This record gives sequence, C-alpha cells and structure tokens, in this order.
Amino acid sequence: MVKNTQILVLAAVMFFSASFSPASVYKVTAGSISFRSDAPLELIKAASNELTGLFDTGTKQFAFRIKVNSFKGFNSALQKEHFNENYMESEKFPYASFEGKMIEDIDYSKPGTYNVRAKGNFVVHGVTQERIIKVDLLIKEKSISLKSNFAVLLNDHNITIPKVVHEKLASEIKLEVKADMSAR
Amino acid sequence: MLQRKIILIWVVWVCITGKIMAQQPTADSTDLMAQLENESASQKTINYTTATFKTTRLVNGHTVENVGKGVLDVKIAHRFGTLNKGGYELFGLDNATMRMGLDYGITNNLMVGVGRSTFQKTFDAFLKMKLLRQSTGIRNMPVTVTYVGTAALMTLKWGDTSRKNYFSSRLSYTHQLIIGRKFSESTSLQIMPTFIHRNLAELASDPNDLLAIGIGGRQKLTKRVSLNVEYYYQIPGYKIDGTSNALSVGFDIETGGHVFQLHFTNSTGMTEKNFVSETSGKWEKGDILFGFNISRVFTIGKN
Repeated sequence: MVKNTQILVLAAVMFFSASFSPASVYKVTAGSISFRSDAPLELIKAASNELTGLFDTGTKQFAFRIKVNSFKGFNSALQKEHFNENYMESEKFPYASFEGKMIEDIDYSKPGTYNVRAKGNFVVHGVTQERIIKVDLLIKEKSISLKSNFAVLLNDHNITIPKVVHEKLASEIKLEVKADMSAR
Repeated sequence: MLQRKIILIWVVWVCITGKIMAQQPTADSTDLMAQLENESASQKTINYTTATFKTTRLVNGHTVENVGKGVLDVKIAHRFGTLNKGGYELFGLDNATMRMGLDYGITNNLMVGVGRSTFQKTFDAFLKMKLLRQSTGIRNMPVTVTYVGTAALMTLKWGDTSRKNYFSSRLSYTHQLIIGRKFSESTSLQIMPTFIHRNLAELASDPNDLLAIGIGGRQKLTKRVSLNVEYYYQIPGYKIDGTSNALSVGFDIETGGHVFQLHFTNSTGMTEKNFVSETSGKWEKGDILFGFNISRVFTIGKN
C-alpha cells in the first residue's frame, strides 16, 4: 500500500515537474529606434515608435523589425522625403530588421540587469550584414526591457552619399534602440 | 528492489521529458519573423503615396504636390526668347521674362502662393488644396486630387486711355482640378481640367470663359533626374482664336534642398491665364523658348 502511494506521489511529482517550462516568447509592447547623423554641416535626428519584435527566451532567438517610413523628426519635410525616396528607397525596402540569437546563456526568469550580445542578420536597404550587437537587458518579474546603442555604416548597406551633400550626411549613423517586452 | 525500480522509472522519465522538450517546435528566428510579418499584415494601416512629383510645378503648371506644413518654397522661373530668333539674338537668350514667387504650406494639404511675372507685369496669387490622396492599405484611393485656384492681375498701363478702363478688367481667375497618379517609383501622370474666366476679352468675338484640359507626366531617369512633359489642349469654342496649345518638355534635377527644372516650351507667360490660353508660339515654326525654374525650400514653421 505504502509502496503504491509512493509510486503515485512520484508519478505526480514527475508529471507536474515536466509540465513546468521556463521558456516563453516575449513580444515588444513599446519599442523605439532613434538615429543621429552628425556631419560637419548638419545634424539630422529622427525616431520611430513602431518597432515590433519577438524574443523566445527558451531558444534565445529573436526577430525585430521596423517600418522605414515611420521615422519622424528630420530637419524638414523634404529631408524626410529624400530619406525615403533617394536613400532608404522605402518603397523597395519597406522594413529594416534584425534577427538571430543571443550569444550568452542567462536565466531569463531571474530578475536583474544583464549585458548580452545579440548575433544575427541585420538588414537595412535590402542589404544583410551579420552583426554582433551589445544589448542591456533589464529583466523584471513579467517583462524584459532592452536598450542598445550601436552604429550603422551607410556603405555596408549600399546607401550612397552624393558628393554635393558630403558634408551634410555622416557616413556612420548612430542608433539607439529601446524596447519593453512582455510575455505573450 | 522497489526503490531501484522507482529510481529507474524516474531516470527514464526525466530522459524522456528532456528529449520531448528538446523536440518541441523551437521558435526559430525565421519563424518569429514570419509571425511578425503576419501580425503587421493584419494591422489596419493606410499607406499614403508620397513624392508623386519632385516639386509643385510640372513645367509651367501645377502638379498634385503641395509643400509641407511650415515650408517656404522660393520659386524663380525664367523664360528666354524663341530659338528661331537666330544667332544675333543668341537664339533667344538675349530676351528674357521672369517670374518670382513664394509658396507657403499652411498645412500639409493646404498651401498658398504669390508671384509676379515680368510678362505683362502680372501679379498672381493662388490657393492650392489637396482633396484626395492616393493611398493603399485599408483605404484604397487610386489618385491624388488637388484643387488650384489662381487669380491674376495684369498691371500694364492701358494702351488706350481715351476709353473708360476698369480695374476689374485687369483680373482673371483660373480654376483647376488636378488629378494625378503615381503608377510606379519612376512614372507619374496627371490630367488638369482647367477653367479660366477673364473679366476682359480683347475682341468681342473672344469668349470670357475658356476651357482646356491638360495632360502631363514625369518619368524618372535616375534617382534624382526626371523627364517631364506638359500639354494643355484648349477646347474648341472656348479658346481665343489664333492661340496655340502649350507644350513643354523638360528635365527635373534634384539636389539637396533645390530642384532645378530645365525645359523647352512654346509659352512665354508663366501664369495659368497666360500659358494655357494665350500661347502664341508654334513648335513647328521654331517658336521654342528655353527656360528654367529653380525651387529652393526653407523650413520656417515648426514641423
């Protein structure tokens, strides 16, 4: 009798422990990207609040994407038009994206701040570059916030600067990404 | 014995569950991307078409485009003399007429402008309003429709001072409904039904109300250069006898904040009333004028 109960209890424990899965998919609830072009003759800043993304804490895989024509700011409406028409060619390449996998193995269920590296394919203007980008993660009970600062070289993504505006457009653009994510 | 059995079962179970978890369909990053794409596809957004033309004028006449809110567009337009004047006149370069204008965007869809042409010393003022915008997404609108209303004041001194001349005789009004569509990144077309009312007609046989229908378009040749064509067909019975239809061909060259337009046209005037209804030049006779428009935008108001 006791033995049967023991087996039953053991079976129950095993059943419940097997169904606890620490992995879950987090979705961006609020995300923004802002960029800055600091050139000798002109400073251009623009930002977008339409960052979307998913992060699977079990597999450490992530995918982020933003619509290029959602960037606002610029120094004039014409500059925004040129950004979309001539440089980013947003009609041809409507989205910029980054998908890949976090390198470090951390326990995503444990609250705290972590500095990890995201490795994956970064696509801008239709050109893919494999990149490793450092990310600051703030893991809370039910959410993850991320922040990252990195640079994009226009040359890497086939974005050409005409000689006429050489001094007005930086060849290296500084980006800042911020996002709050919660479990789906 | 039983203890060992239990341990064995437990070990096997852990191995099995461990294996099952590893075999769970992992959210691959490409799967995640596909999920993001699906989610955005179901979102209801409107995509408004932008940059149908590079600037607010095609050659002489208006395009469907407006300047942005708070933007001031300084416009200088030049027309030289006709090519058939020959070498002595440097193929027309020795003669010139000019229009200076300022366009301002009150909102993104409403703009106003003033200008002054040397031709007949004409002042003009216009109001331009976007009525419909081309868009895709949850609202599909195939065309952009813009209304332009222009008033022109001719300020040349009256030739015949012995008769009673009225101030109102100097005025004319033009109404246009410009309907345009961006067919692709490189091709845009528009039609421009035009109605002109002039208070004074030179001859009693000439109508005061004139009608024309314009057609124009642009073809991008490179990212920053396009070929523009503009033609205004005057409706028979509603035109001044002896005038020709205005035909213009030119290039738009865009650099930073400037758009340079270089073109050939048979019209001397740059106000709607002049080039639509009073063009006297004929292409086949060599009455072709070389001209250019320069447009420079400044942001004045806050975005």
